[in-house]
Amino acid sequence: MNELNDQEVLDRIRPTQRIAASNSFRERVMKAIAEDKEREISGSIWRWRSWPRWVAVGCAAALLLLLLPILPIGKGLPKSPGVALLAQSVQALSNVQTVHITGRIRTVPGDNFETIGAQYDFVPIEIWREYTNPPRWRVEKPGRVVVMDGQSQLLYISTGNSAVKGPPQAGFVEWLRPMLDPQSILENELAAARQGAAQASFSESNGVTTVALRRQAQGNFVNDWARNKSVPESDHTCIYRFDSASKLLEGVQVVVPVDGADVVVAEFNGIRYNEVFPQSLYTVQLPADVNWVGPPTEPGKVSFSGPKEAAVYFFDALAQENWDSVLQVTGGTRVPPDVKKDYGGLQVISLGEPFKSGLYAGYFVPYQVRMPDGSTKTHKLAVRNDNPAHRWMVDGGY
Amino acid sequence: MVAAAAVLIENWPQTIDEFERLVEATQDELVHFAFYRLGNRADAEDVVQDVYVQAFRDRVKRRHVTEVRAYLFRMVRNRCTDVLRARLRKSGQIAEETVGPEDTLSAVVAHEEARELARLLDQIPEREAEVIRLRAWSELSFAEVAGAVGAAVPTVKSRFRYGIRRLRRLLNSEGGTSK
Repeated sequence: MNELNDQEVLDRIRPTQRIAASNSFRERVMKAIAEDKEREISGSIWRWRSWPRWVAVGCAAALLLLLLPILPIGKGLPKSPGVALLAQSVQALSNVQTVHITGRIRTVPGDNFETIGAQYDFVPIEIWREYTNPPRWRVEKPGRVVVMDGQSQLLYISTGNSAVKGPPQAGFVEWLRPMLDPQSILENELAAARQGAAQASFSESNGVTTVALRRQAQGNFVNDWARNKSVPESDHTCIYRFDSASKLLEGVQVVVPVDGADVVVAEFNGIRYNEVFPQSLYTVQLPADVNWVGPPTEPGKVSFSGPKEAAVYFFDALAQENWDSVLQVTGGTRVPPDVKKDYGGLQVISLGEPFKSGLYAGYFVPYQVRMPDGSTKTHKLAVRNDNPAHRWMVDGGY
Repeated sequence: MVAAAAVLIENWPQTIDEFERLVEATQDELVHFAFYRLGNRADAEDVVQDVYVQAFRDRVKRRHVTEVRAYLFRMVRNRCTDVLRARLRKSGQIAEETVGPEDTLSAVVAHEEARELARLLDQIPEREAEVIRLRAWSELSFAEVAGAVGAAVPTVKSRFRYGIRRLRRLLNSEGGTSK
């Protein structure tokens, strides 16, 4: 028997066949990438009245930490003092283990985190974030809390006793993604600046360095409905204050112009670093009767050809107080009591044509209904189908 | 193809267009590697697709990575390991994969070949087997293999040498049958 030499051994373990990717493989991959990018852009634009939108966990949470990466800073000089400061702050943040942020935003109490409006009063918000791998964080405001324990995310809405759970990379963390990646917060901003699309106004006084970044509203505004309803869909300026010595972020303000005047819609003035957080921060004690909701993954009992059909079905179900049918188009395990009370038995007066606006991935369907208490409500129902089952689902706006 | 891929991908792509060029340049060699690791095309393409999506998702974080090809192999290798572990958890042993109805004759042959290669390489230390796979199946340079496994070049050369030596003893003990 002849013994094999090294080259013969190598030949023995080298495949004789060459396997190539399928013809459609590249197309599939690019489609998946495009969908991923779409989720990045639109993932947080949810306008659900009372049940969780698994995307929109926290504009407010993100106001500090997620706005930074999306701010084009105008025509800028990569070597400007502001850009240099961002670079120094990125370096300073690399030594941070935890950050604890307190602030307030102008929004509707009980509504989602991202909704803003100059006409609203301030609502407090608090953020805890650990720069661990995997990351852990908690975002909380009255009526809503989101925790990420390193394994999964949980959103609990106490006002509706509803909860939704998702994996660490679930769509609803898109707005929070900068928080999940240490250093990415200012690094992304720095990258934008270095690409020459950035301009920052810069000042220093009494040991505090200030960088102001201005950005125009993002999105499709053929219809203006979504304009000014979230920070990225508004013309706005973010003002970051850094400690001149440590280069660490001290505070953030987000300002939008309203009738020629600047109105602060969010501000975070309490930013503390390297506190020790209790483990209990990343858990939420849920009531036994919590209403679990989440994006549909399977075809429903009923299907709709478009957003308007879903809206018709939704209002019919409310009119007939057929709660099982309501759940078919809203998801969840039970209809919240306040929805039953407020909408059960309504009458539809008119239903308009669906339209897109802003960054929202779905459609808005205009409607006017007579409420059970005799009042008339005119609003826009939010309907989308960018879920795993591609079902048209009512997302909010009621 | 290999050289072209190495030349084309100097930096981690940042735009959709750049990613499409990356996919075009690397898809075949990554699917080939994953196929021989997993034994069927469907799983191989799923793994590689996941890797590309993850690569896109992490594009900002990885923008300083210059050894893109090696890094992609590293991601595919890790993902394949996850799939194999999941199969093991599910069945208690490495599940035997079947050939799909859409597979070509070449894939059918490759499927049998993958089983045989897995049988051989499973009998030597994994850290040596992984170097041999990357070197022999995908023709990565030792520098690229080092990047893919996160070890120094001299280390991977040693592992390769020891691994080949073990395989030679193994094959000779089995009678040195021809392929």
